[in-house]
Amino acid sequence: MREDEPLIEWEWIERNADQILDRLIQHIGLTLIAVAAGFLISFALALLIHRRRRLYGPLTGAAATLYTIPSIALFAALTPITGFGSILTAEIALISYTLLILLRNIVSGLDSVPAEVREAATAMGYSSWQRLWRVELPLALPLIVAGVRVATVTTVGLVTVAAVIGQGGLGQLILSGLRSFFTTPTYVGAFLSLSLALAFDVGLLGLQRRLTPWSAPKSANA
Amino acid sequence: MARLNAVDLEFRRVSKKYGSSTAVDELSLKVPAGKICVLVGPSGCGKTTSLKMVNRLVEPTSGEILIGGRDVMAQDPIELRRGIGYVIQQVGLLPHLTVADNIAVVPRLLGWSKARIRERTDELISLVGLDVARYRDRYPAQLSGGERQRVGVARALAADPPLMLMDEPFGAVDPIVRERLQNELLRLQEQLAKTILFVTHDIDEAIKMGDLVAVMKVGGVLAQFGPPAEILANPASEFVARFVGADRGLKRLSLTRVGDLELQPAITAPVDAEAADARRRILADPFPYLLMTDREGHPIGWLDQHDIPVEGTLTEQMAESMSPLVGLRTTLKDALSGLLEAGVMAGIVVDEEERVLGLITVEQIAAALRNGGAGPVDGGSASA
Repeated sequence: MREDEPLIEWEWIERNADQILDRLIQHIGLTLIAVAAGFLISFALALLIHRRRRLYGPLTGAAATLYTIPSIALFAALTPITGFGSILTAEIALISYTLLILLRNIVSGLDSVPAEVREAATAMGYSSWQRLWRVELPLALPLIVAGVRVATVTTVGLVTVAAVIGQGGLGQLILSGLRSFFTTPTYVGAFLSLSLALAFDVGLLGLQRRLTPWSAPKSANA
Repeated sequence: MARLNAVDLEFRRVSKKYGSSTAVDELSLKVPAGKICVLVGPSGCGKTTSLKMVNRLVEPTSGEILIGGRDVMAQDPIELRRGIGYVIQQVGLLPHLTVADNIAVVPRLLGWSKARIRERTDELISLVGLDVARYRDRYPAQLSGGERQRVGVARALAADPPLMLMDEPFGAVDPIVRERLQNELLRLQEQLAKTILFVTHDIDEAIKMGDLVAVMKVGGVLAQFGPPAEILANPASEFVARFVGADRGLKRLSLTRVGDLELQPAITAPVDAEAADARRRILADPFPYLLMTDREGHPIGWLDQHDIPVEGTLTEQMAESMSPLVGLRTTLKDALSGLLEAGVMAGIVVDEEERVLGLITVEQIAAALRNGGAGPVDGGSASA
């Protein structure tokens, strides 16, 4: 970095607005795919655990193992198999990291349904499938959404690391700044990535409030 | 809606064993259609287990449970449950559904049309004494304990099931609310005449609510089964005598309701009435207190005959102390305890709009006690 150069060169941002927007969109895409796919896998596994409790230990153990692999190492290890710069390489790693958080939260959400509520639902004649969809999952929503929030924020951060394998959305801005000793793209990438994480977090919190109106009593009882 | 829809319920040598321990031991009893049978006993007597075997939340180890002559084990459990009302302590409401949606659970499962469900839920909300517009869209967390309990009863009635199971339905509310909910359930039962299996650990509640009472003891053994008056008068064993308590004479007061006695007339006068006229009337009566009411006839307080001015009109400020208000369905036991608590000799009997019907005195209750608790009350025959 040269002495006379400002930390952020606004003119560069204007000139590269298109590229920045592309990176941002790519970043959002990578995040959404990872969280959505991770959610589907975790959801299926959680339902399996809900029915067969014994699977809880082995499945969360496996997810925890994936979670402990350093992200750079995982990206690097997958590259010879699925290719450098491929979305698949990035996504396999990103999805792996969402599993532990999502799986644990969905299972704890289902566990948080009081036994009396479950029994009352059974006693009214819900089949076990109806009970799951109409009673247990709605009541598990606050914990499930909390898991999705953490997984999403974590994934937004991890996507930047995927820049090392030629993916990574805003991460590529950060990396290019780093390589060229030109700080503007690094700051822009970091700032947008942070903003994106915050936006997802607040948005999901808002979504949860809308989906669970019962958890925030609007008036005191008479 | 005086539609009568009830069935017999019969336990035939029903047992439930968990490994080597016995929860319910060869239970046999028959509840005729339209009657309330209360299972009562200490914890561990198998009363809740017995109740849960009726809708197959618990499967019996042996024996038969017949609803309207049909063995429950021969029926699909999900279909069976949709046809049986179920009320438990307040936690049984689904916290994520509004009052209306909670009540609509079984009708929805049965596939009723939207319009029919709406009509039925509104009908039931008002049937259990709640204001439809105010309550239909509230969530359980926004209700008081008593309100939740009413919604629980409404939900159980939703599909008009012939049989209701109630497991300690009033266990989680304070004694005053409990008494009111008990009275309301008895009032509803007069109209609906459901067959009800009711579980409680409270012998007073059992005596008050039951047409039939089954006293159970630890190990799931039926100690005595019969009308409450008979259990109080002739306990079948040492255990039953101890369980109903040494004060079982006093408990018989729960078998008689205020409406079963001849009420003492009350001399009343509304505010703004002529004092001279009120004075004349009260001096002609042996009871020395005038009961003042507001213009709608609601009692507001007593006025000593000597404090009535010679002329002019009565004013609200003249009213002094009040007495507790009791309804026609209040049991003598609850009425007496209200009078003792307030430290007065007479209670004011009012109708559902809180208008004065007459007085009930401690002497009258004592007389009823001397006569052996007046007559036994069968179900809802308390005259209204």
